[in-house]
Amino acid sequence: MTVDDPAHNISQSIPRLEGRQKVTGRAEYVHHLRLPGMLYGKIFRSTVPHGRILSVDVSEAAAVPGVFRVVTIDDIREVLPDPYYGPAFHDQPVLADGKVRFAGEPVAVVLAKDPRVAAQAVALITAEYDELPSVDNEVEAMTSDIHVHDELKPAASFPDLNHLKGQSGTNVALGYKLRHGDVEAGFAAADHIFEHTLTTQPVMHTPMEPFVSVADVRDDHMTLHTASQGPSFVRIEIARLLGWPENRVRVKVPFLGGGFGGKLYIKLEALVTALSLLVRQPVKIALSMEEQFFMVTRHPCTFNIKSGVTKDGKIIARACEVIWNGGAYADIGPRVTQKAGFTAAGPYDIDNVSIDSYAVYTNRPPAGALRGFGAPQIAWAYECHTDMIAREMGIDQVDFRRKNLLRNGRPQASGTLIRDAALDAVLDRAAERLGWSLPFDPGGGRIKRGRGLAVAIKGITAPTTSVAIVNLYGDGSCGLYIGTVDMGQGSDTVMAQIAAEVLNLDASKIRVMHTDTDVTPYDMGTLGSRSTFHMGTAVRLAAEEARDKIEALRVELDEPAGSNIPLSELLRRKYGMQAGNIIGTGSFIPEYEKPDPDTGQSRAATPFWGVGAAGAEVEVDTETGQFEVTRLISVVDVGTAINPKLVEAQISGAAIMQLGFTTTEEMLFQDGQLLNGSLADYKIPNMLDVPRDFRNEFVESRQQDGPFGAKGAGEISTMALSPAVGNAVADAIGTYLLDMPITPEAVYRALHPADGDA
Amino acid sequence: MKNFDLEEPESLAEALALLDEDDSAVRPIGGGTALMLMMKAQFFEPTRLVSLRKVGGALGGIDLSEDGSSLRVGAGTTFTQLQQSPLVQKHLPVIGRVMKTLANVRVRNVATVGGNLAHGDPHLDLPPVWMALDAAVDVVGPSGERRLAVADLFQGYYETSLADGEVITALYAPLVEDRRAAYAKVTTRASHDWPALGVAVSLVPDGDVIADIRIVLGAALDMPTRLTAAENVLRGQPAGDDLLATAGETAAEEVDIESDHRGSAGYKNHLLKIYLGRVVRELMGR
Ligand SMILES: Cc1cc2nc3c(=O)[nH]c(=O)nc-3n(C[C@H](O)[C@H](O)[C@H](O)COP(=O)(O)OP(=O)(O)OC[C@H]3O[C@@H](n4cnc5c(N)ncnc54)[C@H](O)[C@@H]3O)c2cc1C
Repeated sequence: MTVDDPAHNISQSIPRLEGRQKVTGRAEYVHHLRLPGMLYGKIFRSTVPHGRILSVDVSEAAAVPGVFRVVTIDDIREVLPDPYYGPAFHDQPVLADGKVRFAGEPVAVVLAKDPRVAAQAVALITAEYDELPSVDNEVEAMTSDIHVHDELKPAASFPDLNHLKGQSGTNVALGYKLRHGDVEAGFAAADHIFEHTLTTQPVMHTPMEPFVSVADVRDDHMTLHTASQGPSFVRIEIARLLGWPENRVRVKVPFLGGGFGGKLYIKLEALVTALSLLVRQPVKIALSMEEQFFMVTRHPCTFNIKSGVTKDGKIIARACEVIWNGGAYADIGPRVTQKAGFTAAGPYDIDNVSIDSYAVYTNRPPAGALRGFGAPQIAWAYECHTDMIAREMGIDQVDFRRKNLLRNGRPQASGTLIRDAALDAVLDRAAERLGWSLPFDPGGGRIKRGRGLAVAIKGITAPTTSVAIVNLYGDGSCGLYIGTVDMGQGSDTVMAQIAAEVLNLDASKIRVMHTDTDVTPYDMGTLGSRSTFHMGTAVRLAAEEARDKIEALRVELDEPAGSNIPLSELLRRKYGMQAGNIIGTGSFIPEYEKPDPDTGQSRAATPFWGVGAAGAEVEVDTETGQFEVTRLISVVDVGTAINPKLVEAQISGAAIMQLGFTTTEEMLFQDGQLLNGSLADYKIPNMLDVPRDFRNEFVESRQQDGPFGAKGAGEISTMALSPAVGNAVADAIGTYLLDMPITPEAVYRALHPADGDA
Repeated sequence: MKNFDLEEPESLAEALALLDEDDSAVRPIGGGTALMLMMKAQFFEPTRLVSLRKVGGALGGIDLSEDGSSLRVGAGTTFTQLQQSPLVQKHLPVIGRVMKTLANVRVRNVATVGGNLAHGDPHLDLPPVWMALDAAVDVVGPSGERRLAVADLFQGYYETSLADGEVITALYAPLVEDRRAAYAKVTTRASHDWPALGVAVSLVPDGDVIADIRIVLGAALDMPTRLTAAENVLRGQPAGDDLLATAGETAAEEVDIESDHRGSAGYKNHLLKIYLGRVVRELMGR
């Protein structure tokens, strides 16, 4: 498609730039990559959740014809003396080092030219462990004598964790605190006190493209081809591990087959780098779908929430204690703990708030960011809790929320002002789409019906930087150099639209370079709904600089202002032939004030607010507890929708994903062992699970400082969905379920509590 | 995965000659939808696979017996062929209904009737239905040919009475006048999950009375299992609510369902009672 008037690129559903490549199977992925001399690595994993490694016998595996080498941590140490990595803590060894901390942890790697030979040899490795007692549950881990790590090792990259350095005898990696007003005084003044404890379960990202990385280490430089959402961080961390300057580490990222926060920070990159450094040949590791369960998961959490409410329905105090099960390695858990922690009291204007949020280690696979950085887990708790309060006090749930909602200009619990947050609008739209003010048929007999809604808010990871380069070539065509990774969300298209709008070009003609850290500038990562706002602004600034340079060139060539001589002609005149470039750069970091460590107070804790609401209707079979979500409405505030179709795809994709986390998905553990580590037993939803009436909308809104009024969209519809479904089920059956996922058996037991075993 | 030979014989005799009664690493392969997963997971490492796809005649076709008393389905018949066969649609409409929620088009296009039975996976939807229909299979192997009831094929969790080197060649479903059949696939998570239990029932009504009935429970036990005590409660009786409740209790008592992650034992017993009642009511037109 071509846009008739190229100056109108904003709010246009321009088809994805890469759509054709993808549907014709020509898009580039790391899985396709083969380098000359490349070896494949297959991983041997721990079978115990916690234990000292007594011995690893690789002799039989090494003897398999075709096996190049079998590698353990002892070999890795030859090339990397301190083989520990991680974004918040340097706590994760490249391969298990003396100890294993979860069942499934990589212990050894077989390298072979043929991946099938490597896999076959892995089956011949044996290991002996001195098994240690393990800790599984986050609440127990808070006080357990079983310690996952002997000593905490915070990374220097987060200055606010430095005081934890060298601490031992604890599983608590981070405690985040927020204090606003006087919560005890608030409870004392309240007419009603409500308190609930809600939990969420471990789930995983399940990208269609499992993790894959290729490292090619040469004498004086290396290249990593990796399915990563954060190539700039990968370069920094790999350079640190190697003790090399950044300019000797090149990270290249083609398209991703989904990421959802799983492919952030270091995943396989440190391992393949160490292996390639050791054997001086390119090394590729591609996980199977089943192995993904052992790479990174979403934090389960236990959330105790207590509210004090006046008799006319004003919430005046709320205390939140959230404990996050971070698994064996911290990954980005401490950020989840802080970021989700700070909005744990929900989108309400409450004078007295206290929040304590803890990241704890357990003997589980590590947990990290998953489409919402913890926001969906906490929203499950605060929005079910809020619904329960309204129901118990006999106040309409929408009225109760409206009465307490944060409004623009008011300080959120952190002290940061609410601005450009369409909380009322999303709530109203969800209520309207549900027909909230109309009579509702609750069903009768065997099938009971219910409806529910929820509204939620999140802060955005801060402060983070994006840098962009716009390069106009001699013929006037345009290349955009950015580190944002298109993992299916359509960022290439949106960034092209922003550049095209400034430069008066046709977005579909702009070429977006895929990340190559030798060429593309820094970006903090494609995460946390940040790219449209941060990178979008950097792209806008870069394009504006290029536009200014073109104007300057016009002046230099004595063209009247506003003349429509094309750039190619201007360059030809200047250089005497088709030559030269116009290069614009843009760099963006939003305003930020570090929260006070004791109170969490900050005037600028987040660059913008993520805002969403959801509504759901369910039908419950009261004889069996089986239920169907018959209607699901997600409404979000994305500011200006730069590409409405892509925004809608983000809303619906996130909603279906969250519906899975709400009803069908759960990683089940017994004694630290994962019981359902395959897609035959771990059930993500498919099209048949999508509700009959499924709507995904955004409201009219504008983020004043966003590019053309836009803000992020990727995670927003994950937040309110679970409590909307939970509240609908409660409306149908009269009981609130406190633990996710909502399963037919849980519903049945809530309906028939007296049945005991049956 | 180690290298292996793939043979594609064009006659049954050739296929049998390529199989090996003394070597379990040599196996026949139908659609491969089950076998390939076992190979990927390294549960099974073949030295030779004998594909039955090109065997044709002896393993193909869907035919009505001359006297119209039974339907023969070649073991190589794919699920899609089964689903689209006018004979199956006419005489065994339950099969078409089961297919609607069985796997997906890609799987149904290649999965075979024989492979489905020989796999011995207790979660599969069709085996309990064939048992409720009182179907039998023909098996050919080094020690000749035999016919056995589908019920006698299953010996335990992924265990069958087939010997190495034996091939299922055809399935026979007796056609009984006035018989009706239905299957309830009871899932407790995503719609495409394996069932927590499957309840297959065939019955012959006589007015309000259940003249004859066969009930088979799938998925919840090590193998599809006939619930004869529950059948005895219902046979010869009018299908009233109390009797159905008693039959449900009896059904739950005659088997020992264990808890797993698709449901606790108690919950699955409850589902069995409810769905047995629902299926019988549906078949009795109530
Ligand atoms: C994605 C997916 C979804 C599925 N969903 C469902 C579902 O919803 N419900 C359901 O019931 N099933 C489901 N299945 C399972 C499917 O029904 C079985 O995999 C299929 O029926 C096996 O048939 P096949 O011909 O492919 O067997 P194969 O994989 O070829 O063989 C299976 C076994 O039978 C043996 N064998 C094959 N043919 C013969 C023969 N003629 N004689 C003797 N032995 C033989 C093989 O050696 C092997 O041991 C699903 C499978 C997949 C992959």
